[in-house]
Amino acid sequence: MSNSVVNKLVVNKLAVPSFAPFWTLYEREMKRFMKVVFQTVVSPLVTATLYLLIFGVSLGDAIVLSSGLSYMAFLIPGLIMMSVLNNAFQNSSSSIVSGKFSGDLEDLRVVPLGNHQILWALSVGGLTRGLIVGLVTFIVGEIFYYVAEGSLLSVAHPGWLMFFLVVGGLSFSKLGVPIAFWARSFDQVSAVGSFVLLPLIYLGGVFFSLENLHPFWKVLSSVNPVLYFINGVRFGLLGISDVNVYSAAAVSVTALVVFHLIALRSLKTGNYQRW
Amino acid sequence: MTLPPPIQLDNLVKVYGSKKSSNNGSANGVVRAVNNVSLEVKPGEIFGLLGPNGAGKTSIISTLVTLEEPTSGTVKIFGLDVTKHPKETKMMTGFVPQELIHHGYFSVEEILQFHSGYFGRRKNKERIDYLLNRLSLFEHRHKKVKQLSGGMKRRLLIAKALVHEPKLLLLDEPTAGVDIELRTSLWKFVAELKSQGITILLTTHYIQEAEELCDRVGIIQNGEIKTIGKTKDLVKDLTKREIRLKFNDDKESRYTVPASKGVGELLAELNVDLKTIKDINIREGSLEDALRRVLEGPSS
Repeated sequence: MSNSVVNKLVVNKLAVPSFAPFWTLYEREMKRFMKVVFQTVVSPLVTATLYLLIFGVSLGDAIVLSSGLSYMAFLIPGLIMMSVLNNAFQNSSSSIVSGKFSGDLEDLRVVPLGNHQILWALSVGGLTRGLIVGLVTFIVGEIFYYVAEGSLLSVAHPGWLMFFLVVGGLSFSKLGVPIAFWARSFDQVSAVGSFVLLPLIYLGGVFFSLENLHPFWKVLSSVNPVLYFINGVRFGLLGISDVNVYSAAAVSVTALVVFHLIALRSLKTGNYQRW
Repeated sequence: MTLPPPIQLDNLVKVYGSKKSSNNGSANGVVRAVNNVSLEVKPGEIFGLLGPNGAGKTSIISTLVTLEEPTSGTVKIFGLDVTKHPKETKMMTGFVPQELIHHGYFSVEEILQFHSGYFGRRKNKERIDYLLNRLSLFEHRHKKVKQLSGGMKRRLLIAKALVHEPKLLLLDEPTAGVDIELRTSLWKFVAELKSQGITILLTTHYIQEAEELCDRVGIIQNGEIKTIGKTKDLVKDLTKREIRLKFNDDKESRYTVPASKGVGELLAELNVDLKTIKDINIREGSLEDALRRVLEGPSS
């Protein structure tokens, strides 16, 4: 029997599992962030509470919006999306960076996990953490809103809300992958978070509406993809947005595709070896 | 039906620093870690890659498990090219890295469950418990890796590599930095794996390890295989034995002869009567002598 025939037999006999490796890595990601739940879920909850207390309760009455909504209501979707984006990014990036530090990132290379499986497991893991923290932020926001307004916020467009939360969370999970592969230390990942992502998120309309900005800043903000994520969520929750919802959806999906491709390339060419 | 060899390397080249062209050595930051290596490992054998630090042993193993891409040449596992069929070849391969791993968040048992799941075996408690018991880790299964001793961490790496019952096991310096007791027990375990039909490639710079375990060894230096052969044959072919004769009058004579030459032959050559000899002391050549001869040249 020729070698090529034997090879075909070997390949056919080896049923390479497709879903189990992905599911295992996803489960590992979930367990990883649940082991440090105080850091991953409770800490963002405290941050969101402080924002709502300072900006929503203390300063909210002094800010008047043309839509007629209270500033507290305006703030809640921004904070939800900020939580989702931050946590999704941190989950995937810290998974890779801690794997480089401990040496177990190499495991992903020597087991039958494809790059697509690794990327989607990390992305969905980050999204899950983002959505959990986003949900907790939403509940805290509802409590604050109820205390201030005597009623609960109802979701205006649930479909759009989920769409922007999922696309935004996946996008930032994927963005965490190339940045973690590029980083040579924990400091570098932290620096990207502090000096690039945080400004993008803060200047993406979490706390303000575009209509209040100087035209120069308005133009500058329009090239920030985070603006579209946040306004998309605001449209989903409140039914108002500074940008057209279809434009927001198009920009969000484009960002997702671009981040996906960059992340995939980093998985193919990145260094899995220990620091 | 003849199954293809567990490992087949054809003209493998691995260059770090540049993909294609380079000179030997490390000129201009380019290192040719593996230089046209061709070898075949036979089913069921323990093959040792023996050489000094930096010889290229880990680079070869890294290409087998796709941690590194070959610069040129082919790397096959059971006849399948690792670059074309990475998932299939990984399903058949277990890999024990040289460096210990910390796995910060998880317990020993969780690590093995995850590793098993990556190979599609999400319900694999029986095998995991067997390995935990066999490698004396069962009572430590709920501990995190940072709570384990160096020897336990090494055993955990071996358990991880075996959790999916591979046909080929790659051991990169499996006993580096471990005490004599653990080393001996690991050797025993490796021999047991061989008896179960697992093919094993191990890299080592411990001569005794290669001598104890390996059916065949390849001696590697500066990325090139200098010689390959059965361990016993290499010792026989490349070393000399020292025969010391003590005579009845307490005079001594020392002779260095080829390993294949017997005492009787020597005595016959020297025309010495056995009755005049009080004692005979023989020092056989070792794999270390063979290694030194290969690495330093025949004059040594």
